[in-house]
Amino acid sequence: MVNGINLALQFLDSFAFIVLAAAGLAIIFGIMGVINLAHGEFILVGAYATTLSATKLGLPLAAAMLVGTLVTAAFGVVVERFIISGAVPNWIGQETVGRNLVEPLYDRLADSMVATFGLSLIMVQGARVVFGNSIDTVGTPFGNIAYGAFSYSTYRIVLSGVSIALLVGVYYIFTKTEYGMTARATIQDEETARALGVDTERIYMATFAIGSGLAGLTGALFAPTLSMQPTLGDQFLVEAFVAVVVGGPSVVLGTALSGGVLGAIQAVFTNLYGTFFGRIALLAAAMVALRFLPDGITGFIEAVQSRRQEGQ
Amino acid sequence: MATDAPTDGGQSLAARVRARFEGPNTIGNSNGFWVGFLVAVAALVAFPLVGNAEQFSLFLVLSLLGLSLSVVWGYTGVLSFGQVVFFGLGGYTFAVVSINFATPGGITAAVLAGVVGGGLGAAVLGYFMFYGGVRDVYVTIITLVATMVLHTFMAQTAGSEWTIGEAALGGFNGMPDIPLLKLGVGAASFQFMYNAIPVWVPGFGTVELDPFYYLALVLLVGTYLGLRALVNSDYGRAMVAVREDEDRTRMFGYNVKRIKLVVFILGGALAGLSGVLYAARNVFIDPTVFTLLFATLPVIWVSVGGRKSLLGAIIATIAIEYIRVTLGGELALVMLGALLLGTILFLPNGIVPWVHRLARQNRPAPADAEGPETPDPTEASES
Amino acid sequence: MSESETESESRPLGPNVRQTAAEMATGDRTDTLLQTDGLVKRFGGFTATDDVDFGVAAGELRCLIGPNGAGKSTLLKLITGTYEASEGHIYYDGHDITDLEPHERVQRGISMKFQVPSVYGDLSVRENARLPIQRFADGAERNERVDRAIEAAGLTGYEHVDASALSHGQQQQLEIGMAASLEPDLLLLDEPVAGLDVAEREAIAERVTRLNEEEGIAFVVIEHDTDFVASIADEVTVLHNGEVFREGPIEEVKADPAVQRIYLGEEE
Repeated sequence: MVNGINLALQFLDSFAFIVLAAAGLAIIFGIMGVINLAHGEFILVGAYATTLSATKLGLPLAAAMLVGTLVTAAFGVVVERFIISGAVPNWIGQETVGRNLVEPLYDRLADSMVATFGLSLIMVQGARVVFGNSIDTVGTPFGNIAYGAFSYSTYRIVLSGVSIALLVGVYYIFTKTEYGMTARATIQDEETARALGVDTERIYMATFAIGSGLAGLTGALFAPTLSMQPTLGDQFLVEAFVAVVVGGPSVVLGTALSGGVLGAIQAVFTNLYGTFFGRIALLAAAMVALRFLPDGITGFIEAVQSRRQEGQ
Repeated sequence: MATDAPTDGGQSLAARVRARFEGPNTIGNSNGFWVGFLVAVAALVAFPLVGNAEQFSLFLVLSLLGLSLSVVWGYTGVLSFGQVVFFGLGGYTFAVVSINFATPGGITAAVLAGVVGGGLGAAVLGYFMFYGGVRDVYVTIITLVATMVLHTFMAQTAGSEWTIGEAALGGFNGMPDIPLLKLGVGAASFQFMYNAIPVWVPGFGTVELDPFYYLALVLLVGTYLGLRALVNSDYGRAMVAVREDEDRTRMFGYNVKRIKLVVFILGGALAGLSGVLYAARNVFIDPTVFTLLFATLPVIWVSVGGRKSLLGAIIATIAIEYIRVTLGGELALVMLGALLLGTILFLPNGIVPWVHRLARQNRPAPADAEGPETPDPTEASES
Repeated sequence: MSESETESESRPLGPNVRQTAAEMATGDRTDTLLQTDGLVKRFGGFTATDDVDFGVAAGELRCLIGPNGAGKSTLLKLITGTYEASEGHIYYDGHDITDLEPHERVQRGISMKFQVPSVYGDLSVRENARLPIQRFADGAERNERVDRAIEAAGLTGYEHVDASALSHGQQQQLEIGMAASLEPDLLLLDEPVAGLDVAEREAIAERVTRLNEEEGIAFVVIEHDTDFVASIADEVTVLHNGEVFREGPIEEVKADPAVQRIYLGEEE
């Protein structure tokens, strides 16, 4: 019975972790065709901004988290303008030598991986230079729940709830707001969207800001539970990455399903063989999934649904 | 042009041999290039007299790793973040076999085992991916995930149950007791590590030379020439065609899956060899070879050096690693990141090809006019 | 490349396929080279190819026409193996090739020119022309074949020019040449004259006719230009909504009011 609770809690933990880590990345990958390997460092920005707001500025935790999220979103806009779309270097190029200097990174999956990895190196070491090897942490709120001989952090249970709320929120943004509709039209067919008067540049900028903001939110939410080091982004990156690709084209459903499936696998293996093997199992499952479901889980579901409709 | 008949009657043997190493797939097909090449090799041979050969040998070893990615990515279009998987497999296999059979014969066999280990790993992963129809960026992602799997796995091998024969895998602490590299059998063997050979050099007197440095140099130059011949051969042209347009190449009757797998295995074996030399040189190996940073280093070297250029890969590896080791610490990584970012944004084809293009533009008449397949200077063509 | 087997040898064709082959037999065109049987291709919820029985005789010059979205390119890609069939079979030269990989089908004698001109841009004309040929010819024979291919494409003198610097028409000629240099028995052309002017179109029409008459290569050509089609085709197949709508000599098909209606979008 207790082991069942342990397993359930582990699953919620994995699920929340994966969903929160992946959400921002999924939006950017799904809409812009950019793989942001600096995603971990965006989470770092959120975590550090939150922690510093709480410890240095004395803000209450919730307000600090808001600050963390907004700072990261703003940082995302800067990165988007300078690196992803190349708008600023190209503007400089036009003003000085009369031509564009760079190509945007949209749909250049391999190049965007490499370029953003460069960015992540700069950010991690930059953080180390500016803030040192670690900064003071914020305590974890809400205390613990006890059951049998075990206790579990209440906060982490709260995070599972937050992750579900997040999925619902993102779903709402993408289906009920004007931005969401326009963004989805742009994914479907950029040329047509532009021909219909959509400012695709703005959509991409807004999308990157939202994706970055979500990464910042993740950093903010996990800040009380992590040790504040410049490398804290590393633990999120691979799981996020893997969950996004396994999830497939549908941002919300994909992230939710891969969070569920991969989270379950990780929880079971962690329970039986320890955290290392839990991680290995998650990664191995991802490799197998990519090999057999190249369009991700939601891509596969779409194909099956249509085949059903045909009366197969 | 390998196996194309010469268009004029009877070229000399030297010209025919040289023609195997030249073509549009490599930079430098002129007399000037080969002269420069020989000068550079001579300089490298003489380097230990004036420089730190022990440190430099590391760069030579890593250049093999860079070349392995250049072949796989630059020439066949497969961006692999997983070359370090085969590098690490090579190093660990070498360590395990050489610790268990610490005789010269055993150590020599361990070298072969390491190379085979790297190649075998690539065969398994490559078959899984290419024959499963995995394409493009998903190959990159799977290779990256494979690196993470190996990192996580090797990191938790700390317990004493993780021992193969006499060799404990050691988890995060790695394997420290690798025997010194001795190649050969029994008495007919030679020690390459921690061995100093006194040689009399005119002008320098008797100097102590490091044989490992020369071993690495010979292997690197040999590999470079071998790869040059490969990419300029029929098979090399097929590789390039696969990179340019897979579907179209398939429609000319080429078995694209097999080509990718074969090249991937070659890349794995090369990376494995690099890993063997790395472990032999450091007399140590640990899971840091599987970290994300280390996995990205070859991508950085090859991106900056020019992914379609073998020479670019070597030059960039040596230059970047030298700067990284000299600067050290955070500054080096910031520089690395900036270099990577700058190159992808402004010079997506890499630095060495860009320099080469500038150099050719500034010549009064293209010195490559006598090359076999370079564009005719009177036609409209790219420089 | 292998020669077509005569029909007298027993072939593993399905029952209704033999019937269709016999139906198509007219005069000396009794050798069925290619035959599809109930071919279906679905993409998700969309059926691009719907139960198609399509046959081509050896040495025949067939044009595939129909409104946009009718499934013409899809059918070609099913024949080459680029797309895997959802249902049905494809028979070529007496063998069921449905499960063969594209490169295996090419090695048996099917060749294709893609819709979007896709020469290897960074390679020179000569390097492009060499690529298909190097797989089966060496030394002096190779050089000869490459020379011939370049000449047939009208590109003598452009040998060392980068293929990306060629004009659109020249690229089409080069591509046709590369596909033909494999000495196929069946050559599939997807819109070979799209974007070309009248003179270039005539040059391609002449080339295709010559390859068909002199080398006996069977063709399946997708084209929208009715003049071009009229000048080269023996027979025409009209596709509509993924199905075979009409087949026959071009004059008959053109005059058919039902065909005219589907082009105007009134037929369902």
